[in-house]
Amino acid sequence: MTPCDPVTLEIIRGAARAAQAEMEALLERTAMSAFIREKKDFYTAIFDAEGAMAVGSDLPIFGDIVGPVLQRYPLDDMRPGDLYWYNDCYGSRGAVSHSNDQVFLVPVFLGGTASDDGGAQGHPATPGITGAAGRGCLDRPRRGPVRIGFVMGWAHFSDIGGLRPGSLSPEATDHFQEGIIIPPVRLQRDGRTNEDLLRTFWRNSRFPTQSEGDTRALMAAVRLGEARLAEIAARFGAEVLADAFAQLLARTESIVRAKLKATFPVGTTRFADAIDSDGQGNGPFVLRLALTRTEEGRFILDATETDDQAPGPVNLLMHPDVPGMALGLYFLQGEAGQVLNAGGPRAIDEVRLREGSLLWPRSPGPLGLRGLTMMRLLAALHGLVAVARHGEAPASHSAYVILALRGEHQGRRFLMTDGVAVGYGARPFADGVDAVYFVAQENYPVEFMELSYPVRLRAYGIQRDSGGAGRWRGGCGVVREYEVLADTAQVAVRIDSVRNPPWGVAGGLNGGSGRAVVNPGTPQERVLPALSDGTVLRRGDVLRLETGGGGGWGHPFDRPAEEVLADVLGGFVSPEAAARDYGLAIQDGAVDAAHTAALRAARGEAKLFHRRGYTDAVV
Amino acid sequence: MPSSDLLVAVDIGGTFTDITLQDAATGEAWTAKTPSTPRDPSEAFLAGLGLALQAAGRRAAEIGRVLHGTTVATNLILEGKTAPTALLTTQGFRHVLEIGRADLPRRDNLWSWRKPRRPVPPSLVFEIPGRMAADGTELQPLDEAAVREAVHAARAAGARALALCLLHSFANPAHEHRALAILREEAPDLAATASSDVLPVVREYERSMATALNAGVMPAVATYVERLEARLAAGGVQAPLLLMKSNGGVAGAADIRRAPVQTALSGPAAGVVGAAAMAMAAGVPQIITVDIGGTSADICLIRDGKVGLTQTGRIGPWPLPLPMVDMVTIGAGGGSLARVSGGALTVGPESAGADPGPACYGRGGDRPTVTDAHLVLGHLPPALLGGCMALDPRRAEAAIHRHVAEPFGLPVEAAARGILAIADNAMVGAIRLVSVERGHDPRGFALVPFGGAGPLHGAALARLLGMTRVLVPPTPGVLCAQGLLAADLKAEFSRSVAWPLARAEPVRLEAAFRSLMAEAATWFEREAVAAADRSTRRVALMRYEEQGFELAVPWPAAEDPRPALAEGFAAAHRALYGFDLPGVAIEIVTLRLEAAGRLPAPAMPVPCGGGAEDAVIGQQALRLVSGTVHAPILDRARLGPGAAFAGPAILVQLDATTLVPPGWQAQVHPTGALLLDAATR
Repeated sequence: MTPCDPVTLEIIRGAARAAQAEMEALLERTAMSAFIREKKDFYTAIFDAEGAMAVGSDLPIFGDIVGPVLQRYPLDDMRPGDLYWYNDCYGSRGAVSHSNDQVFLVPVFLGGTASDDGGAQGHPATPGITGAAGRGCLDRPRRGPVRIGFVMGWAHFSDIGGLRPGSLSPEATDHFQEGIIIPPVRLQRDGRTNEDLLRTFWRNSRFPTQSEGDTRALMAAVRLGEARLAEIAARFGAEVLADAFAQLLARTESIVRAKLKATFPVGTTRFADAIDSDGQGNGPFVLRLALTRTEEGRFILDATETDDQAPGPVNLLMHPDVPGMALGLYFLQGEAGQVLNAGGPRAIDEVRLREGSLLWPRSPGPLGLRGLTMMRLLAALHGLVAVARHGEAPASHSAYVILALRGEHQGRRFLMTDGVAVGYGARPFADGVDAVYFVAQENYPVEFMELSYPVRLRAYGIQRDSGGAGRWRGGCGVVREYEVLADTAQVAVRIDSVRNPPWGVAGGLNGGSGRAVVNPGTPQERVLPALSDGTVLRRGDVLRLETGGGGGWGHPFDRPAEEVLADVLGGFVSPEAAARDYGLAIQDGAVDAAHTAALRAARGEAKLFHRRGYTDAVV
Repeated sequence: MPSSDLLVAVDIGGTFTDITLQDAATGEAWTAKTPSTPRDPSEAFLAGLGLALQAAGRRAAEIGRVLHGTTVATNLILEGKTAPTALLTTQGFRHVLEIGRADLPRRDNLWSWRKPRRPVPPSLVFEIPGRMAADGTELQPLDEAAVREAVHAARAAGARALALCLLHSFANPAHEHRALAILREEAPDLAATASSDVLPVVREYERSMATALNAGVMPAVATYVERLEARLAAGGVQAPLLLMKSNGGVAGAADIRRAPVQTALSGPAAGVVGAAAMAMAAGVPQIITVDIGGTSADICLIRDGKVGLTQTGRIGPWPLPLPMVDMVTIGAGGGSLARVSGGALTVGPESAGADPGPACYGRGGDRPTVTDAHLVLGHLPPALLGGCMALDPRRAEAAIHRHVAEPFGLPVEAAARGILAIADNAMVGAIRLVSVERGHDPRGFALVPFGGAGPLHGAALARLLGMTRVLVPPTPGVLCAQGLLAADLKAEFSRSVAWPLARAEPVRLEAAFRSLMAEAATWFEREAVAAADRSTRRVALMRYEEQGFELAVPWPAAEDPRPALAEGFAAAHRALYGFDLPGVAIEIVTLRLEAAGRLPAPAMPVPCGGGAEDAVIGQQALRLVSGTVHAPILDRARLGPGAAFAGPAILVQLDATTLVPPGWQAQVHPTGALLLDAATR
């Protein structure tokens, strides 16, 4: 194998990142569903010739994407012009973990792009970098196209059929109620599209035009990525590219492994946390993680003691690569020049799961709302770090909140799926982030909502006191108040971490919980179950959604008084909470130093975690 | 009336203020350089003007136009030093700036990212009862008492500027206009601005941000402009002061005072306009410009000499959806630092800045930069700025050795080449983003490198992109002045309509454009543009219904424009994205009228000088992959039209150094521009 020197490696990494940026820009500009174009629920990745993810997105939830395709379509049978597609969760062992996410995958070849067959749909973007010497490819005997990698485009389609509009519902009891399932299929061969397959897929959507627009956008994006990766290979040669991918994988693996060693002592570190419910009256469900570092330096993550799977759709079919990706993202903080890829999972030698558990359910257990379990899992991995490092870890975050409102208005069917931000956990070096949904995903502007859906927003702001108190404050969640303008509309809400609020760490307090209230402050006020579907609202009804925050880090009394005061003046912390949690006295809009000192003198004993009181373990 | 033949362009940099005085009729030009006076930049402005007038032997009263690109607003925003600003917003939406789009940048790590501090803290945001619906109907009247209370509270809290952004004001600005009148009544001494005057487009966060930034730069820009005008008047200048906007056009001081945030990208825009004018004069209408400074590079694609506009631009971490020159900025420049960590070699975005600067400057910097790599490879002469600033190659070598070569076990030369290759790669990525992503093949364009470091990279970038022609402007380091002298008066007037194309009757479209024409006419009057110099261009921003991003489609000349619009949109969609969606409904989102007031462009100065052999002032060892060769150093000022030579060569001039690598043929165009053509192989 031709070794790739450090300079070429950085150039290839930069070119791969640029290719991703172009694919993402194309998707954002051409997709039709608000889910993709405004919320930006899409990701891209580049794989090596065997299918290992070499350059991923900074998203900690990917499994082995290419593997499921290879089971059906052997590598040797692939050729330029192919395009593969699936959303099959059980069929991909959790590479995709709910069916709305569509994976489009293109094998990329050197010496035969699909463009001559029309496979790139006439995309003009293939100028090539002809000025540079194609080092590796000049002396290689030409024997037809050489496969050099894969390119993925991944996006959440807003409706693919199923029980309810939006395809995801807390009421689902069976995965077959969560939309059409596409096993790994070959959507294009020699650049020719199996249009029958697409027509079948679109026919299963309640919003077929959007589905068609999103499909075309995703296909164009992966073809663009294909052209870019082929150009990189043409410039440096297949062998150099392969070595570059191998080095990127090895680099990430060695950094993650070194940091795992620096973090976890020999022996077993344990942490457990719980999700509240499955939306069908069951729960809580406990996730139990045990990370073992053996004497020989092997790392084994064992989740077999996790509770049994839920009847409701909160099961997370966790691909065994996911913990490594998640810890990989955590350990790559501050590592400029590194990429999250399959090197993360390789740093963990073994992942043990138990069939029939919440993290490895049996088919056809419903999966649609696995996001809340995913978010709890990410915090639980940080919990392991917190235990091993005596609190040097981020506090817990809330799981992102989703509100779905559907019905008919002026003769047209509508589906408003609003992804709502929450607060993230405070860190040992900074406050938690306020009002973030998840990686790279954006909110719907109020003006966009009112132009597009039969709702009026009465308020959208920071949910005061939702950030856990601490030396570093947990991020705050938000409040969003909707007035319904349609005659009737059916509502689904998805809120977790109510009974089990996000824990604080190292003396920091837990973050606040979310809730959904109909007609607040009126005699008709009622709180909706946090995870529920089917509530019918009528014109003029008001739904107030409050989302949870992140836990705090460090003792709140150690937070400088001016920072607490700024939070009070800015609407993040109430004066009462400032006095109660931070020991801060305010007089006429300024810090009362003497009274504050007195309050802060009475400081109790803290423990490692906090959830409604200090504790050594949160469940 | 003053003679309109004498023009002045003033470019105020961090260190020097450059003045260009030009006789528009003859093209003859005089320049002056004077130290900048940061405390009151107008001092250097006038001092430099005096020097230039003296050199030209002309009088201030003869000046017909004073043109200026200002970085006052840019620096205030980027350094977070805008005036204490209060934002008045609709009740219930106090945290619109804090929440933003709830987004974490796609390439940032979720666990380590910190939210940037907003230009207005939430303690200075005041909620006002009163509500418009999305279609512009009033749902609840404006609470005028609340506006008055907010003004007093804001003042008590120390605000010096007031920004107003109410929901749906793009559909109906009545509440904002009334509230603005109240602000002016209650606080005539505070700067005040309303979003519907700054940017009447949908999306409250982006609009609020633009309005808050506008308010925050108003006091400083107003003071600045007033001082300039006063000094000019005192100095006997009777000509109007025109300032460069981010859209590549100039506008009078009144327009700038109203919406100073329009100058946020004044500097880079002026450079792009200058490059476009220079390239057109040299008969090269299809260009990609690369403006490489110390910390960043701005890249822009220009078709047929016309600079494109975008409304999805940014400044620093903030969105700024005002029409601005459509360019991409990346963190790679001469001062970008090379570092090795975790086995990875990266270049930028961290920069050594002006202080301490590259290691070879000998000002205490010991980390290697892109400039150090150039010096080690022999791309730079032993001294810059006409010999005023010596460069120390040993320091450059030591820095590269210690921080890059040693960790990787590479020779210093290879490490230096690697640093440049990585910086070039980042720029290539951005060039592809502005060209390929927009449906163009860069090979059909000429590369125009400028900025202090641009001409060192031009040929290498062109080669990487398969481009065969490079055009180096006569004064690549001070192209802003050329842009100012070439710029026209420009303004855009737009209306959010959101009409399905099929139901947009020609009568309605015409009526909408007529009202925009009326707005433009008022603007033409205010800017005193003669009828013959006025021009307008209609543009429709269109998309497939339910898409989120619009394409600008030129307005067809037809009684019913719709069929041609539909066709034009589909064609643009195919060209950009590789597909269209026949049968899917199309929507007109915005109608835009682009107005321009033509200002007579000055004649190009005629360069003097002779052949290449007479311009050689030394030679230098150039370290190439193939081995070391000796390259001549040429004094660019001595190269006359028609002078021709082959690379390798190094061209020096006051403001930049040009590297002509082997394999390139150079020729001086009659305009003084240097044309580099790749030798055919």
